[in-house]
Amino acid sequence: MTDILEIKNLSFAYGNFRESSRSKVLDHLNICVGRKESIGLVGENGAGKSTLLKILTGLLDMQEGAVRIEGLELKKENLKKIRAELGYVFQDSDSQLFMPTVYEDVAFAPRNYGKSGEETNRLVLSALKQVHMEEKKDRQIYRLSGGEKKLSAIASVLAVGAKLMLLDEPSAALDPKNRRNLIRILNGLPGAKIIASHDLDFVYDTCQRVILLSGGRIAADGDAKTLLTDRELLERNGLELPLSFSRGQR
Amino acid sequence: MGRMGDAVSELHKLDMEAVKCGWLQRMHPLPKLLVTLFFLVLTVSFGKYDLQGLIKMGIYLIVLFVLGDISVKRLFKRMKAVLALVCLMGAANPFFDRETAALLGPVVITGGMVSAAVLIVKGIFAVSAAYLLIAVTPVSDVCYALRRLHVPKIFVTVIMLIYRYVIVLLKEAERMTDAYMLRAPEQNGIEYRVWGTFAGQLLLRSMDRAQTVYDSMMLRGYDGEFYLREKRPAGCTDYLYLLLWSMVLAAIRIM
Repeated sequence: MTDILEIKNLSFAYGNFRESSRSKVLDHLNICVGRKESIGLVGENGAGKSTLLKILTGLLDMQEGAVRIEGLELKKENLKKIRAELGYVFQDSDSQLFMPTVYEDVAFAPRNYGKSGEETNRLVLSALKQVHMEEKKDRQIYRLSGGEKKLSAIASVLAVGAKLMLLDEPSAALDPKNRRNLIRILNGLPGAKIIASHDLDFVYDTCQRVILLSGGRIAADGDAKTLLTDRELLERNGLELPLSFSRGQR
Repeated sequence: MGRMGDAVSELHKLDMEAVKCGWLQRMHPLPKLLVTLFFLVLTVSFGKYDLQGLIKMGIYLIVLFVLGDISVKRLFKRMKAVLALVCLMGAANPFFDRETAALLGPVVITGGMVSAAVLIVKGIFAVSAAYLLIAVTPVSDVCYALRRLHVPKIFVTVIMLIYRYVIVLLKEAERMTDAYMLRAPEQNGIEYRVWGTFAGQLLLRSMDRAQTVYDSMMLRGYDGEFYLREKRPAGCTDYLYLLLWSMVLAAIRIM
């Protein structure tokens, strides 16, 4: 079975790509992601994590290289089909959830993809059930807690049946209980996931593989347990050991 | 809680009222919207000296306040700024129209006074009718009804997004105000010299937010149309409500 995501020689720079060859945000990246893989994308601020995710969703135009998602080449003509295969969870849930209620927000994508009322209802309830939010479906968005907003945002991409989920700092601003809950839910979700995060403990708990970005290049790519316990590698790339390791809790 | 926090809390209470399990709240949104529009059109159609006829239209509002279990006091509290503006609208009329319209003993009632009163009553009735509609119908349902009436989708989309993001904007403004006040404890409010910067920051943050929201919509297949949840078909009670009110309001207008 082919990989769900193939990135070949991807480079990107803000502004004029040709003129800013010295300050590329992404520089000749090569990544393949399997259909059930959960990948942690880590790196210091400005390493290119969020930029990479935005390119994969088509929010930023690709400048050099090639990307294939579910066999489809990432280009304007294929964007609609590609976006139906992937789900992007924003760092700030308030920006992602724009409909008045949880139900309406989760139903937004299925309705746009032409699902019938009955089918939409089934997809919405199933997505909300996966994140344990079915009882709060009629809640107003602004009345949700930070954790509930995050879960609603995840449900809103699950409702499309996303085969590849991209999550930008999913654990940011979550309290320990909600964070633990999110880890449990993410680990139970099928499909591939790319989680960009500074929370290395969170990445350790949710991902089998880690890609370490530094200066737009891949500094390391491998097993999460091995990479996230390599103090020297992490420190050389502006990171530190996950807290639970530095305190000897694992 | 600051004034922004109070505003958010009031919006929250209004939302809660709209989803209460009352008879009026459960009704289909379309007849409620149509009756409100009909009421507004008839209210506006009264002549500028026809105070007596106009007052009778208040029956609709009184009945709705009772049926919807809605507090009149809260309406005035929430709408005080708008109502104050409404009262100002007719303030100049008595100065321009000094013809005697009636005599109340020694007191001369001029045409300007009557027309000012009519203008104010019309304003109050219009604001109250809109408030009553929102108080018994969630905004998403009002938008659904608007689309059923073939109101342009761009208009409905803007209403929905404004309603959703006015709270986000209020919270953003509250955060900025709090940050300011914590570093300027001696001041009673935001100094007028920083109003420009303050508004500019808020605008920039709003633009930033707008871009992210648009991205989020595009990522979920937005094609220019907000598809809202289909409501149950309107039933006998809904049609009866529409018919009865249309007849009652038309009768009041003709009388």
